Amino acid sequence: MPITGVYFIPAHPNASTALGNITERLRSSFPDEDLIQLGRWTLEQKLMRDTPGLLPTSSGPNQRPSKPRYMQFLSLSHYYNHGFIYTSEPAEKPFHPPNAASPSPAATPATPRPQGAGAGAGAGAGAATAGSVNDSTTSNISPMLMTTVPHSSYSTLFQHFTYACQPFWCHRLTVVVQNGVFYDIGDFRVRLGDVRQTYPTNRVRGTVVEIEWRGPSVIDSLDGAVTSDVNEETDSGVDVSLSALEESDIDAEFAATALLIREFWGRLGVEGAREAILVPGVGSEVKERLVKLKGARNGLSGPTEDDPDPQAGADVARQYLEVLRFNR
Amino acid sequence: MHELLLFASVPTHQHAELLQQLAGLTAMQPRHCFERRLIFKAYRKPGVANARVGASQDLQSGDLQRVNKMLNGGMFYTQVVGPIQSADFADAGVTDAAANASANANPNPVNPDPDTDTKMDGMDSESSIPRSAYDFDQQSWQLEFRDIPEAGTRSAVTSRVMATAALPRGDIVPSMNAWGYSFVTEYLVEGDMFIHNDIVLNLHRVLHYPTNPGEENQPRRQMPTLQQMAPLEKSGSYVLQASMMVQDGSNQETMKTASQHLFGLREQLKSAVRLEMADRLSLDTRVK
Repeated sequence: MPITGVYFIPAHPNASTALGNITERLRSSFPDEDLIQLGRWTLEQKLMRDTPGLLPTSSGPNQRPSKPRYMQFLSLSHYYNHGFIYTSEPAEKPFHPPNAASPSPAATPATPRPQGAGAGAGAGAGAATAGSVNDSTTSNISPMLMTTVPHSSYSTLFQHFTYACQPFWCHRLTVVVQNGVFYDIGDFRVRLGDVRQTYPTNRVRGTVVEIEWRGPSVIDSLDGAVTSDVNEETDSGVDVSLSALEESDIDAEFAATALLIREFWGRLGVEGAREAILVPGVGSEVKERLVKLKGARNGLSGPTEDDPDPQAGADVARQYLEVLRFNR
Repeated sequence: MHELLLFASVPTHQHAELLQQLAGLTAMQPRHCFERRLIFKAYRKPGVANARVGASQDLQSGDLQRVNKMLNGGMFYTQVVGPIQSADFADAGVTDAAANASANANPNPVNPDPDTDTKMDGMDSESSIPRSAYDFDQQSWQLEFRDIPEAGTRSAVTSRVMATAALPRGDIVPSMNAWGYSFVTEYLVEGDMFIHNDIVLNLHRVLHYPTNPGEENQPRRQMPTLQQMAPLEKSGSYVLQASMMVQDGSNQETMKTASQHLFGLREQLKSAVRLEMADRLSLDTRVK
């Protein structure tokens, strides 16, 4: 899973976007690089909000405004095997079943837990879900939970929520990047595209830029150890024995790469961008992987028939969804 | 997508005979299958709806009406279904000690602790459930939504809106909770499947898990033995379900053709079982 950063430059409706400007800056900032368009990419985000939150807030003094809850559907052409669903965690736990994570003391000894389930809540959480860490940066939004679903389920689930869950989910908007382009510049891959809103009305939203670090990274060696088909392209020059790798090393790797990405973005000198690199929950799949690798548990979210890595791209999906969560 | 259905009740003594008849009709061997079925219920903070109606100035009235209509829309129970193998059940012949011994035979780097054996022995006295190779973290799931059957159809088949979507493996409860569903309970379906042209035939019965305190609030991570499962219908009778999926339910022509195929099957099986449409309210999935 490569380390990425996503920038979004908002634009006024009916105004031109920053796309041309950024492409020009890329050309002028990296005169030694051939700016060759390598291909196209697309993105689609459908944003749903909790329906009760759409009611106008009453002015009553004893009613504090509830936190908005979101469910965001994201589909990326560079991770075409699966779609991403990013949902606010429930504010209060469902009322009738008690929280599974905190069984009552009386129930604990009677429940035989499978061995190793206590090793890490994240590891036990199973295939493609990973609890997001508590966020201090976005205080008015509750923590988000990332779920990846097979691509065939992506639109079926969206239809299900619009059909059967109207009292609690309401489709608010859809934005797309239809004609994104990408370039390789040094150790980076840069994806650019104009974000258009297609629902409820057509309008321009701005420009999104994804910067992917393709240089040597500790994370790659981890990926190589997990997936049997080692990606030739990203042959990692870093030789790290897995046993020496700690979660803090991964955090450090993300932080260090974030600096590289910020430096790259800084060279372009584009103003007024929203940044998403070290967003809440980023890297949690990588850490989960490390825990499982070290434990050599067979509970790895292994490849399914049609998806070699069901969790791939969860980090970049989080970053896109952070910058594209428009208020409506 | 739509689903058209006919049902028949099959008493225990007729079960073996009907299996043979269906195998003959469909020219295939029965495919024996087990399905874990988790029931989830849509939930919403009580008292939110209608709490603030009429207090609005800033929301356009059309928009507000729409939101209010949505708030009063239907909510549903939905199922998450996972296929399992008969090998996933704990084997009745394997005692706890034997299962643990085999588990310890695999070198397990999580616990290189030499005391593992004694710890496991300590657990034996507490647990009454034998182990199996069942791995909950690898369990595949799919969401199965079924609407209440349509009312007032002149046709004599049950017809309802349906949706099926594959979900990630493992513990699906955190995602379902975030999506607005809470886990209620689970049961198991045991049965045989046949395919007859475009109709899927399911001869199945519902099995209940043995109750263990502390296990009701979340899906089981381990399976009991098959012998411990008790049929919901005490007489052990089965249900034969003939179903057919129609991609475009608004197309009257295809719906009619599909019904006619089901009626054709009903005629063919007339001497063995009586297939008929189900009582609509018995298949009500709405949360009230």
